[in-house]
Amino acid sequence: MNRIAFAISVALAVGVAHAQDKTIKIAGFGAKSGPVRSFGVNSEAALVAAADVINKGGGVKLADGSKAKIAIEFYDDRCNAEEGISVIRRIAGTDALVAVGPTCSNVAEPLFGILQKKVDDASDSGLQFPVFTDVAIKVGLAKISQWAFRNVPNEMTMYNSLFYWLRTQYPGLKTVYGGVEEDFAHSRATWYIVMKDRAAASGFEVVGNTKWLLADTNFATQVREMKKANADIVAISAHPFSACGALKEMARQGVKPKVLVGLTSSSSMETLQGCAKQAEGMIIPTSFAPINKQAVAAAKTTANFKGAADLHSMAAWENVFILKQVMESERISGKPGDVQADRRKIRDGLAKLKTTDGLIGVTKRDAEGEADKPYLFVQAKKGEWKVLHNPL
Amino acid sequence: MDFYFGLAQLIGVHTLLGLSAYIVLLTGQVSLAQAGFFAVGAYAAGMLTVLAGWHLVPALGASALCGGALACAVGFPALRVKGLMLVIATLAFGEGVRLFFFNFDYQIAKGELKVGPVGGEGFRQIRFFPENGWETWEVMLFIWVFVAGAMALLWWFDRSRYGAVLRAVGEDELAAQSVGINLTAVKVSAMTVGGAIAGVGGGLYAHYTTHIEHASFNILLATFAIAYPIVGGLRSVYGTLLAVIFVQGILVEGLRFMGDWRNLLFGALIVLAMNLRPSGILGKGRHA
Repeated sequence: MNRIAFAISVALAVGVAHAQDKTIKIAGFGAKSGPVRSFGVNSEAALVAAADVINKGGGVKLADGSKAKIAIEFYDDRCNAEEGISVIRRIAGTDALVAVGPTCSNVAEPLFGILQKKVDDASDSGLQFPVFTDVAIKVGLAKISQWAFRNVPNEMTMYNSLFYWLRTQYPGLKTVYGGVEEDFAHSRATWYIVMKDRAAASGFEVVGNTKWLLADTNFATQVREMKKANADIVAISAHPFSACGALKEMARQGVKPKVLVGLTSSSSMETLQGCAKQAEGMIIPTSFAPINKQAVAAAKTTANFKGAADLHSMAAWENVFILKQVMESERISGKPGDVQADRRKIRDGLAKLKTTDGLIGVTKRDAEGEADKPYLFVQAKKGEWKVLHNPL
Repeated sequence: MDFYFGLAQLIGVHTLLGLSAYIVLLTGQVSLAQAGFFAVGAYAAGMLTVLAGWHLVPALGASALCGGALACAVGFPALRVKGLMLVIATLAFGEGVRLFFFNFDYQIAKGELKVGPVGGEGFRQIRFFPENGWETWEVMLFIWVFVAGAMALLWWFDRSRYGAVLRAVGEDELAAQSVGINLTAVKVSAMTVGGAIAGVGGGLYAHYTTHIEHASFNILLATFAIAYPIVGGLRSVYGTLLAVIFVQGILVEGLRFMGDWRNLLFGALIVLAMNLRPSGILGKGRHA
């Protein structure tokens, strides 16, 4: 009798332990090495920090009423398309239910291409795995696949608003000149498709642009061209590494435009660490700033995990909370045998979303899987990003 | 298993790239133009399947022709120079091709969408495999048919008079010329075969990634192309395959869990491998 009681108690104990150990795996991936490694490092920190907050609150509620903890596993794709494809195939081979990433648009574009284009299209053998992008920001990528979703800001709206605001605030300014990091998908697309077009739409005359590459270290010629153009506004569509190089050269050659506009991705600590003095006054539209309690708390928690809070890493933070909400509303089972069914539920849940709660406000979502996030304008002032204007 | 099938696809494509450099290296020439031929093949096959609606097999045939013809055209002037001058000449060609595609726009309307290459934005939606319902293992087998074909061709060359001529030119040009070998014909033919193989590899690469852009065909890819046969050894065609497995399978994928340390180890392990096997993995041993 004692033996039976012992066996039952052991079985119960194992069962309880098993229930407590339920985990839902979310895979993160992005660049954790190379020139843009800071994006991957910050995203991973934000993912782990958000999961930690959720886990401390009990975890994710499953279909059977039990709760599961979120486990984050992060993979480095080195901002390389081939590696990104390998990574997503590797993730799809694990029990991860969804992936958050990648960092680079040149990875997102081929990666979305290997996903099934239309859900339930039996003739399309593409990978059926939900991807919820936090960083890769190049316009219009989510429409490549119905398994791809993004929580990245809409640069078209942001720069439209920024140039319109500049027009009303500084009616005396007439001309715009661009400095473009030409070999990076995001910065290139943002200048040619977004900034240039939106500036003209707001009545500015675009008098030209100069080009450089991500790995360039000498900007003398480009800045000389910029100086010659003598534009009222200079828009630098470049990531922090080369943007700082160009800004330092502008300071050296005495190029002082009346207004300096930056790329969304440059509204980060990297820019201030690299060239705070030269970036002084730069205005950038961003989808994150610590303007309320929850945004401050998210930034602090991420810092505890050795990550910096910016528009990209905080999108990763938001993604985890959105995924928790979707997993609970779609009643995923979290059982090992239901991995593919749960992935499908998450995809369908993400597709249903019309709005989501973000750190600085409500994000609207469209049918293509893109986000229209709230935004504000920040300005570099004495080594900090200060909120300059909140247009919403 | 899909991950391993996908990795095998990538190894297959890179093996073709390495083999394209292997045959040129046999003649003692170091060419950094292979990434250029690879790019031409990638864009040609992508445009034929996406814009013209061709099946992939004839599109790859066209890629081979484009790659081979361009290599032949480049070979005549480029192979008149030797050693470091040739490296610079072929590097310039590769960069020229990359910059051409950087500025190359050719889009047509297909339904509601406009498809085709758009300069720096790249060329997306090269989805022949998924759109035709090919499973990952089927794609892998398809790619490896071409790899096996290219390896068999080079293996046969190695055992033929032509192979002996290639190696003779590679060992000592002057001696080869003194016995009546036409150096230009040998070098240009090797370059042409290499260009055709790179063209096929590029065509498969475009359909593997579904999206190509100029940056995919940079100097790093050209360096990998010649590194594979050098690390693998020029003694046998299998050396290139082993080197690709070593680099892509072990150094890139196998060490992914090491995070930042992977990049450091990557270089260190190649240096170690070259020290232990200075003539390549399948080359002569250190004390041989």
